Amino acid sequence: MDRNNPGRGDPMTADRRRRLWAVVVDAARGGAVAVDHVCAAAVSVAGVDSGAVAVILDATPRELVCATDRTALELEDLTLTLGEGPCVDATTGGPVLVGDLTVPECRNRWPVFAPAAVLAGTGAVFALPLRVGGIRLGVLDLYRACAGDLGAEQLADALVLADTACAVLLDDATRHGADRDDQWPERTGLHHPEVHQATGMITVQLGVPAAVALIRLRAYAYSQDRRLRDVAADVVARRLGLGPAGTADDRHG
Amino acid sequence: MAETPLADVFVEMADTLIDDFDVIEFLHVLTERCVELLGVSAAGLLLTDQRDTLQVVAASSERTRLLELFQLQTDQGPCLDCFHTGQPVSVADLTLTTARWPRFTAAAAEVGFAAVHALPMRLRSEVIGALNLFDVQPGAIDGDKLRIGQALADVATIGLLQHRAIHQRDILTEQLQTALNSRVLIEQAKGILAERLQVDVGQAFAILRDSARSRNRRLSELSQAIVDGSEQLAPGPVANRSG
Repeated sequence: MDRNNPGRGDPMTADRRRRLWAVVVDAARGGAVAVDHVCAAAVSVAGVDSGAVAVILDATPRELVCATDRTALELEDLTLTLGEGPCVDATTGGPVLVGDLTVPECRNRWPVFAPAAVLAGTGAVFALPLRVGGIRLGVLDLYRACAGDLGAEQLADALVLADTACAVLLDDATRHGADRDDQWPERTGLHHPEVHQATGMITVQLGVPAAVALIRLRAYAYSQDRRLRDVAADVVARRLGLGPAGTADDRHG
Repeated sequence: MAETPLADVFVEMADTLIDDFDVIEFLHVLTERCVELLGVSAAGLLLTDQRDTLQVVAASSERTRLLELFQLQTDQGPCLDCFHTGQPVSVADLTLTTARWPRFTAAAAEVGFAAVHALPMRLRSEVIGALNLFDVQPGAIDGDKLRIGQALADVATIGLLQHRAIHQRDILTEQLQTALNSRVLIEQAKGILAERLQVDVGQAFAILRDSARSRNRRLSELSQAIVDGSEQLAPGPVANRSG
């Protein structure tokens, strides 16, 4: 049973994930891992001063889930009020990495946000989308007082933690305990295409949004103590369908 | 190799690049042209996810077994070695590399491949991915074909970065991450179509792509609309079992 084992495969990736999960678990101080802890870990490994996670819900355009300090809170408020900035662009597009908010391109792109953020004492903003294909969950925003780009390693760490934040948002809140360090969530990226194909199939089977289908799929795999990719492969091969509330609808015969 | 098809391919690529285009669709066409021009059996493109791993973003065929073989190289194989070294890796006879890449070699043999070549996608000092070519016949790829293959890998790099200021790391990250996310999106849309039309995911991709073309829509844009539920492709004749 190696559902939680990242060690298969490129050792560099596994090392990075293991190291970062330890930082997240440490931030949780013995409790269940929540998105706040992932955010705090991202702030620490990316070498920035503060961070925030904003979640997009159907009912509201943007809801703040956590902010590590007052600066982050202030900048999130600014983003929400102005409706522009890197953290808005990242909710619909790719990552927006701004090493220096004072350059003319920034002022042109975000004429109100950029000067206001600088005034609030921020020199650099790095906004990482929390997305799984067509499923938009929100954005992880990192802020630094000093201008300067993220290093390649800092960026790689931050991207892994953005994945982790997605997983934590998709999974049951109590599931990723800090008591065992092997309980890190399964990645949400492209690694296993069948997971995303299965998500699409369950969307139709249950008549639910894609986000709900992915939540159900992950919850089902967890409840059965099976790897996500294996359950997904069964769905794609039509050996398994999911019924209401995540029950299995065994398709044999 | 005839001269005309080669010229045609580069004209086609250049035409695409000056227009507003879909990156995934562009890379997909490029892998198909690799197969035609280089006389190989299959081609795939893998990009770095900037987290130490490669991900498959396009392949000349969406056969599941083939995609799995490409995907396997995120763990081991010539593509990963090519990505780490930035140098082409060419294996004329896969039966001789069992010790080096045991799982990859076994999987390649199972699909029926005898030779494999990996060409780096380079952006100055940075390697951002690899073009992967498979052949059912063992043997080295000749120098001319290798040069054309490398040129196609370079075109893929340019296409990925589009006409943006590619010296900036932030733009590179945005483009790479967007391409990877688009691929996830397409997988989700494939799943939706497969279930709705009761076809397999490979057929679903063909339907998705044909629909995008006939509607003059970007592949990723149409996929997003399908995942959002704002667009439902009209069921075709194969859909008579769908509810």
